[in-house]
Amino acid sequence: MLSFIGRRLLNYLVMLFAATTLAYFLASSFLNPRSNYVQMRPPPPEASIDASLDFANVNDKMPVVARYGRWLEQVALHWNWGVSPQGESVNGAVAHRALVSVKLVTLATVLAVLLGVSIGVAAAIRQYRLFDRVSNAISVFFLVSPTFVLALLLVLGGIRFNEAIGARWFFVTGLGDAGFLDYLRHIALPTVTLTLVGYVGYHLTQRTYLLDTMNADYVRTARAKGVPKNVAIRRHALRTSLIPTAIGVVWSLTSVITGSVFVETIFAIDGAGKYFVDALTKNDINGSVAIAALGGCATCAGLLLADIVVALLDPRIRVS
Amino acid sequence: MVSTNLLPDAAERARRAGVQRVPKGTLVARRFARNKPAVAGLVIFALLALLALVGPFVARWGYDDLDFGALKQRPSAAHWLGTDIVGADMFALCVRGLGRSLLIGVIASLGITVIAAFVGTAIAYFEGWRERVGMWIVDMLLVIPTFFLLAIMVKGAAGTSGWLWLTAALTIFGWVGYARILRSIALSLREREYIAAARFMGVPSLTILRRHMIPNLGSILIIQTVLGVVYAVQAETGLSFLGFGITPPDTSLGVLIRAGSSTLLTAPWMFLEPAALLLGLSLSMTMVGDGLRDALDPSSASAGRA
Repeated sequence: MLSFIGRRLLNYLVMLFAATTLAYFLASSFLNPRSNYVQMRPPPPEASIDASLDFANVNDKMPVVARYGRWLEQVALHWNWGVSPQGESVNGAVAHRALVSVKLVTLATVLAVLLGVSIGVAAAIRQYRLFDRVSNAISVFFLVSPTFVLALLLVLGGIRFNEAIGARWFFVTGLGDAGFLDYLRHIALPTVTLTLVGYVGYHLTQRTYLLDTMNADYVRTARAKGVPKNVAIRRHALRTSLIPTAIGVVWSLTSVITGSVFVETIFAIDGAGKYFVDALTKNDINGSVAIAALGGCATCAGLLLADIVVALLDPRIRVS
Repeated sequence: MVSTNLLPDAAERARRAGVQRVPKGTLVARRFARNKPAVAGLVIFALLALLALVGPFVARWGYDDLDFGALKQRPSAAHWLGTDIVGADMFALCVRGLGRSLLIGVIASLGITVIAAFVGTAIAYFEGWRERVGMWIVDMLLVIPTFFLLAIMVKGAAGTSGWLWLTAALTIFGWVGYARILRSIALSLREREYIAAARFMGVPSLTILRRHMIPNLGSILIIQTVLGVVYAVQAETGLSFLGFGITPPDTSLGVLIRAGSSTLLTAPWMFLEPAALLLGLSLSMTMVGDGLRDALDPSSASAGRA
């Protein structure tokens, strides 16, 4: 088992390295930090532009391979992900923002799993009846709604709700800093958005898997021996059908950083996703590559955990 | 009269057996037509496509005409869907944005399907080290969320030809996930006898892929192209919403939603109209895709018999 995990980990690390390198070259060829300075009125002298760009190691007069070498050396030896064109350290900016995103997404994921799995189980037991059809129609709506449309609709609804009752229950910007209740009122709408986006997958997959196992031979055997239907489903069918869901939950780690890009931008939450958008807008090569690498780390962590969960939960799979 | 024909033709054989022959296309169309949500989706999509095509000719205003006498007006007789903050007609903008998003979505989805079909089947067909290398590269491209790579690549796109660049970028990065799925489906195809027969007859690999592997994925490819439009439209609108991708003066549904999001309280129609179009487009294409899946899948019971 340990050597299996070790081999997978090594493979993922090599992939992560290759993908980050790709992202660095992509960002270096498509982002143009020099344009930030050229647009200034009055434009600063060429020498001072070059000096600032050299300081951030993003000067397009230097060959990109040489820049990559310097960047890689700093990252590998000093864990220094560079500075933005304005001279702020990427390390300091990303660390606490990543934590903000993780908190936001974790809460939403827990809610999404609870909601999705319960709806999925209820729908599978009532296959093709009213509850199944209605919940399916609602889920298809959330499945096709882009995150940003859903978030903006909730902002609109939240503000209308505030106006209707004449008090500010929901806040639509920032995270608030006046205690737990205030935090909850700020985080409510972003969390609802991410939950609605996330629960759909759990609903649909849990329904499918439970339907598969409900018709399995061992469940029929249990029923034939006189086990009541609900007990048979709970003890025999539900347990097996939770394995793919558990893998799905671990898999959702892969989208921790991406999932929050739109929500953080719309609700003005200063997390990793918003930092990525800001970094791109400011032509910040080092900043955007750091977030892309962070997203890659999340993917690899999710894949590795999924490998482990599969091996632990599913007795049919032999690790070799 | 005694028939001298020892081998009766197909129609005669069918008549004798009392079986009515139905061409495959008719069969699929019938199964599709029985699926009410799918037909509703097709109708909505047809209406939206019609709106995008005919809209510019029936609109009273061009999308770049500014009516300075009517800034941020509610929908009225003069401006059917109201105006935005600089006085441009929302109907004209929505029609233009819808056309743009649809064009990008359809072209990118077709490109994605073609690339994904070739790469996916090629990885499955060439076994051994080539398969391992191919899968490693595909997995590697999926490590960093595609959305980030897309955003980095299209950030610099600007001006009215920016949409071509965006379409190309969506195609370049969009095929990876689909190729992975197609490869796993094609794995069972490569074991078939007719593939082996073609191989032993000395048919070139590329011809085997083109003539024998890809046509046998036909129905899957059709479904993926339809659902791929939803993916491409959502990626385009998402990027444009964040300020990358399509940028003013050109417009798309994403650009319009971005503009509407800043006047959410004072002029909600600026957000609600393009958002409704985007939702209608995504929902209708998804319903059509699901309906096609059921109609094309011979083992699916959900579309009734025959």
